[in-house]
Amino acid sequence: MKNAPILILVLILSISIPFTAAEAATVEEEQIDLQMREIAKTLRCTICQNESIWESQAELAHQMRDIIKERLMKGESPDEIRAYFLSRYGDYILLAPQKSGLNWLLWGGPFALLAVGGLFLYRTLSRWVAQTTITKQEDLPPIDDQLRKRIEQELHSRED
Amino acid sequence: MKGWHFILALAVVGLLVLFYKGLWGDPRTIPTVLIGTQAPSFSGPVVRTGEMITSSRFQGKVVLLNFWASWCLECRTEHENLLALNRRFGSNPDFVMLGINYQDRKEDAEKYLEVYGSTFNHLRDPKGAISIDYGVYGVPETFVIDRQGVIRYKYVGPLVGPAYTNLIENVLEPLLEGRPFPRS
Repeated sequence: MKNAPILILVLILSISIPFTAAEAATVEEEQIDLQMREIAKTLRCTICQNESIWESQAELAHQMRDIIKERLMKGESPDEIRAYFLSRYGDYILLAPQKSGLNWLLWGGPFALLAVGGLFLYRTLSRWVAQTTITKQEDLPPIDDQLRKRIEQELHSRED
Repeated sequence: MKGWHFILALAVVGLLVLFYKGLWGDPRTIPTVLIGTQAPSFSGPVVRTGEMITSSRFQGKVVLLNFWASWCLECRTEHENLLALNRRFGSNPDFVMLGINYQDRKEDAEKYLEVYGSTFNHLRDPKGAISIDYGVYGVPETFVIDRQGVIRYKYVGPLVGPAYTNLIENVLEPLLEGRPFPRS
């Protein structure tokens, strides 16, 4: 009976170790799935219009997701995997164009046009405001007695 | 119209064209980035026999790869021309033709080859690994690889009419005869 505690410990360990290993494998799989999802969301399904390979139900998208998973399991980084797809399909595979070369036009163009449009609007409005003459009080025609009487009557009727 | 008005209008139109091409452009018209690069190696089972074939077997040869599927109607229109190509160049020891069966069921592919005929090997690509390695968008697509293993030509669509003539006269004949390869 002296060895009873050791036996119990061995028994507990022999049960818990396989569970721990299985849990670790599940956690790793979940992480790979998560990474795969993040990569798949940035790649365009080449046979669909403006749909990522994560969203697409096409067979090709399904196969691409499998390839991402395989490469992640081999230890490739998300950037390496994206570079692989880029080397096969070119820029078209990326849902968001790369921020380089002519693509800067696509990224910055709308903002630049908005700025130019805003400047154009500001200049036009400024010119309109400058051209509009505000009539001063002394330039207004004088009020005759009849009109003054009418205004006073109107004011009195409102006070009542 | 002032000069800068014209430039602004030009910029707006240019940007709209870029967006249009980017969002609604046909991926089939986008040139492959693989032209001039080393052809990816591949291996796969032959549709009819299941024998594994690896690309290294064709080192030093001009290889024509044709991606097809039994459900693809355009593939049927070019099939007779593919058989004619193999009749014409198949006896050349420096030339090999291979079909890659894309997203298809084995039995459908077998039936297709039985009905339309086959004089060269066709490999299955059940996981899509070969097709994705070659950046295939759809079928039919045809690639020509030179003796050094470099992808020299890609055609998207059925090899009929001028596309078929161009492939023979401007791609296969120059490559097999060692003549300069004109850009098509």
